[in-house]
Order: sequence, then C-alpha cells, then structure tokens
Amino acid sequence: MYIQTSWLGEFFKHSLLLAGAVVVLLPFYLMLSYSMKSPAEIETNTGGFFGAQQIMTDNRCVKVGNPEEDCLKRPIVYNYTAAFKEAPLVRYMLNGVFVTVSIFIIQVIIALPCAYALSKLRFWGRNVVFGMVIFCLLIPVHAIALPLYIMLAKVGLTNTYAALIVPWSISVFGIFLMRQFFMTVPDDLIDAARMDGMSEFSIVWQVMLPTAVPALLAFGIFSVVAHWNDYYWPRVVITGNKDLMTPPLGLRMFKSDMDGNEYGPMMAATTVIVLPLVIIFLLAQRRFIEGITMTGMK
Amino acid sequence: MGRSKAHYWFVGPAILLMLLLLIAPVVVAAALSMTDYSLGNSGFNWIGWENYEKLFTRRSYSKMFTASLTYVLLVVPISVALGLGSALLISSLRIGGELYKAIFFLPVMATLLAMAIVWEFALNPIVGVVNDILRSGCDKSVIYGFLSGSWLGYDPLESWYGSACEKKFPLWLGDRKYALGTIAFIGIWQAFGFNMVLYLAGLTSVPRELYQAAQMDGADSAWERFKLVTWPMLGPTHVFVITISSIRSFQVFDTVEALTEGGPSKSTYVMIYAMFEKGVRQNLLGMGSAITIVFLIFVLILTLVQVYFVNRKVHY
Repeated sequence: MYIQTSWLGEFFKHSLLLAGAVVVLLPFYLMLSYSMKSPAEIETNTGGFFGAQQIMTDNRCVKVGNPEEDCLKRPIVYNYTAAFKEAPLVRYMLNGVFVTVSIFIIQVIIALPCAYALSKLRFWGRNVVFGMVIFCLLIPVHAIALPLYIMLAKVGLTNTYAALIVPWSISVFGIFLMRQFFMTVPDDLIDAARMDGMSEFSIVWQVMLPTAVPALLAFGIFSVVAHWNDYYWPRVVITGNKDLMTPPLGLRMFKSDMDGNEYGPMMAATTVIVLPLVIIFLLAQRRFIEGITMTGMK
Repeated sequence: MGRSKAHYWFVGPAILLMLLLLIAPVVVAAALSMTDYSLGNSGFNWIGWENYEKLFTRRSYSKMFTASLTYVLLVVPISVALGLGSALLISSLRIGGELYKAIFFLPVMATLLAMAIVWEFALNPIVGVVNDILRSGCDKSVIYGFLSGSWLGYDPLESWYGSACEKKFPLWLGDRKYALGTIAFIGIWQAFGFNMVLYLAGLTSVPRELYQAAQMDGADSAWERFKLVTWPMLGPTHVFVITISSIRSFQVFDTVEALTEGGPSKSTYVMIYAMFEKGVRQNLLGMGSAITIVFLIFVLILTLVQVYFVNRKVHY
C-alpha cells in the first residue's frame, strides 16, 4: 500500500506474520495432535503430529473385567470413543444446536416487526421506543446476569431450557441493526404492497423479511457464534444437570470429572466441540468476518 | 400512519421484553446492592451502603480491582498494538494476506473455554510443551545467548531466561506472580484478531491520494507517511477498537473460571468472577449486586468516553 514493496521487505513481513501465525495456531495444533496420541506419547512429547498409532491397552476396559486382548485399541480410536463414552457429547452438541437456533429464531420474530415499525411506520411515541432501544444497547449482558438469575430462580426456571433461551429472546442490537437496514429500503416498495391490499403483518414477513436476508445473515452469524461459545450464562443457570448442558459447559464438567491424566480423550472432546464452528468459518470466511465485525459493537 | 393499529403488535412484545429482561434487572441489581438478600431467605434487611463500603475497604476486593485493572491494562494496549501491526503488515502484502487474516481471526471464532483448556495443558509445568520448548533452548548456544543477553555482554544468570535455565521455568497458572499475566496472554491471543479486522476495515477507508500528497510534501519514508496520514486517519477506528477491547476485557470470565478460579491467592480474582463467586456460589446476592453495579458504572464510563470522542470526530 504505502510501504514500498521490495523483495527484502516482503520477506521480512512474511517472517513476522508467520511467527505470529505459529503462536496463534499452536493450541489448535496441540488439540488435534493430542486427540490422536497415546498417554505415553503425550507425557513424553513424542510421536510427531499423528502419534505412532501403536496398539495400546485400554486400562479402564481391563479394570471392568474384560480380557486384555479385547481391550487393545489404536490411540486415536481410544481417545475419541472414550470422549463420547465418558461425556454425553452428542447430547451437549444437540443442546447447543437447539439453544442457539431457538434463540436466533425468537430474536428475529421479536426484532424484525419492531425494526419495521421503528423505520417505516409513523406513530406516537416512536422516538421514545427508539430511545429505549439505544439505552438498552448500553447495558452489558454481564451486568444483568445476577438479577436475571434471581428472577429465574424465583419462578423456578433455573435448570431448564427456558433459562438458557428466554433471557436472550430480546436482542436490542438486532432491532438496531435491522432498523438501520430497513431505513435504506425504499418506501415505494411498501406502498406498492399496501396498494395490493397486503396487511402490515404480511408486509413484515413477505416483503421486509426477504429484503433483509443479508442483514439477517450477518446478525445470525453473530448470534449463533456468541451463544454457541457462551459459557458464562449456562454456568450460572445450569447446575449439575448434564442433560441441559451446552458444549462449553459440558466440556468444563468433563474437565473437572477427569482424573488428571486423561488428556487424550479430553482433547478429543475439545476437538469435537471446537471443530464445527471452525470448519464453517473456514468455508465462509468472508461472511463470518463481516458478520462479526459489523456486529462487533456488542 | 394512524390508520392501522399494527404498530402496537410490532413494538409491544419488544417493549415488554426490554422492560422485563433488561431494564428491570438493572433496577433490581441497584436495589439489592443495598440489602443482605440471599435466595431461600424469606426476607432481607436494608443495609444501605454497607456492601459498597466493604467493596472499597476490604483487602480481597482491592485485590479484585487490582486484578481487573491490571488485566485490562495488559490486554488492551498489547492486543490493540498487535491488531494494528498485523493489519498494517497484511494490507501491505502482495500475496497471502487473506490467509493470515483467516488464521489470526480463528481464535475469535473458536470456543474460548475449550481453547483455554488446551492452553492450560500447553502451559502445564511438567508435561506442557511451552516449558519444553523454552527448556530446549537452554543448551543451544545461539538461542541461549540471544535470549539471556550474554551476546550483548550481560551476565546470563541475571536475565530472566538465564536464571530460569539454571533453576526452573515458571509454573505459569500456578504461580501468583505469573497467573494473571498468563490469563492476559490467552486474552490477547484471543482478541487481537478481532482488532486486526477492525483496523483492516479502517485502513481501506483511508484515501490513497493522501499518501501521494504526503509524498509530494516530502514525507519520503514509510514511517513518516504512517505518522502523517495513516495514524491520524485511523482516529475513529482507534476510539472504537480501544473502547471495545476495554469493555470486553473487563468482562473476562471463562479463562479465569476454568483455569485458576481466581487464585493463586486471589491474583486473578477479576470482577465478573467475583460477582459469580459471591452471588451464585456463596449466595451473597447483595454483595454480588454491588459488584454488578460498580462493573456497570465502569462500562458506562467507557461507553460515554467513546461517545464523546466519536462526537468530536477524532481526526487530531
């Protein structure tokens, strides 16, 4: 750009960035590598990336009373099967999908009509409502966690799916984002729809929703990533009931249940939880980076 | 419009939920911070400012403020500088920019709690790779000479690296001198890619003509043009990136809860963790609410500073 590009300069820049990339990628490399290695290889740091994959004895399997020849496994098989057996990983993942998708759908159902009204309808008190949205944008989620927890406990809703979903049903940020987007939609489009005899409800869902797809996509990425990765809120409202745990919370439980040296299965579980988002990210990088930075203010 | 009542149905649910789930909780927290409320008790007593008094006089809470502020002061400058640095490098590359961008953004996307567990393992003093790598440099004279400063004529045993080679490498998360710094390192690792993307967006909005104009005015070196054009033109981005990073680092929780639980000896006892421990674990909701309110005030101050600078249209 403004730095003159010489071969030496280019070489220098690449070496700096490569050094940074090595540090950034180190935990991902370790996670994948350890999820494939035997305990001995992990302890001595040998075996390269994939490990030697020598057949090993599954001690726990022997302890239960199985004959030893039935308990011989490749380390990678041992780690991943142990991860799925020790922790209800599938359940955690399904919980994660259910919670994040529910949150996003409810957020859209609440936010889209409100954003439409704030941008395209003229009514008494509109500015007051918009002022309220702006005010609520200032409230950080961590600051309302404790009172929300008390309110949920009072109505007996802790340790339910509702506790994981309901507090996020309103996204003032979503309202703000959609409103900004709808401001750019020409009024003629809506007038034409009214002329055709469409009700305001069908205008929201049949005219506005399709035009809002790009903004919704960005908001969706932001919302799903934030709630899939969220650990704080599930930690507060879910206590002990493994059936309700989301992936990060389940992983945390796995870590505290683990008896110290089960690093292989632990890293296998971590891989299973981290990988889906990472793969989707790598497939749709540009959209993800746009979505998360565009919505980065929250 | 007036002819339709549809807007009631459109904004009604949103207003209701905002009042119930966002505004009411703030009011509740403010009220409870003046009480000794606990879940399960039938009533509570109004105790006025007592919780706040404790917050500002007790040693464990002064440790809390120290931990939070130190964390913010470590993470914000370093992650902003790294974000800006990598954005400048990447935007000036001929090839490969997109690849680095994706790599540096990866930690922003990945589940922080999971990656924190991997870091904990990498930093394990006995089997962890970090100390293994550091140790392996001790008997390679090139690396040892460079890192311990003996090349420059210093006494290698005086340096951090030299003495660590002689004795042992730190316990990282288990040592109260290093724990907060280690948590901050994970925070920086996670956050700087986000700042980088914001700076990359900021850089594309700098008009190219300005660089040519600066060059004509005699700004020959890249550094002079950076000082003259890039840095000031990034004014609004700086404000945004710094406030966002500060607010985010005030909210650090996942790494602390999973790796140190506030220890050793409260060296990583950051605010949100304290709030969780007091309010949820120990059921001291009055105290937890007082911490909540102080936290809220910190964040509001940061936001107002941001609004102030944005309205002044910071372009120096």
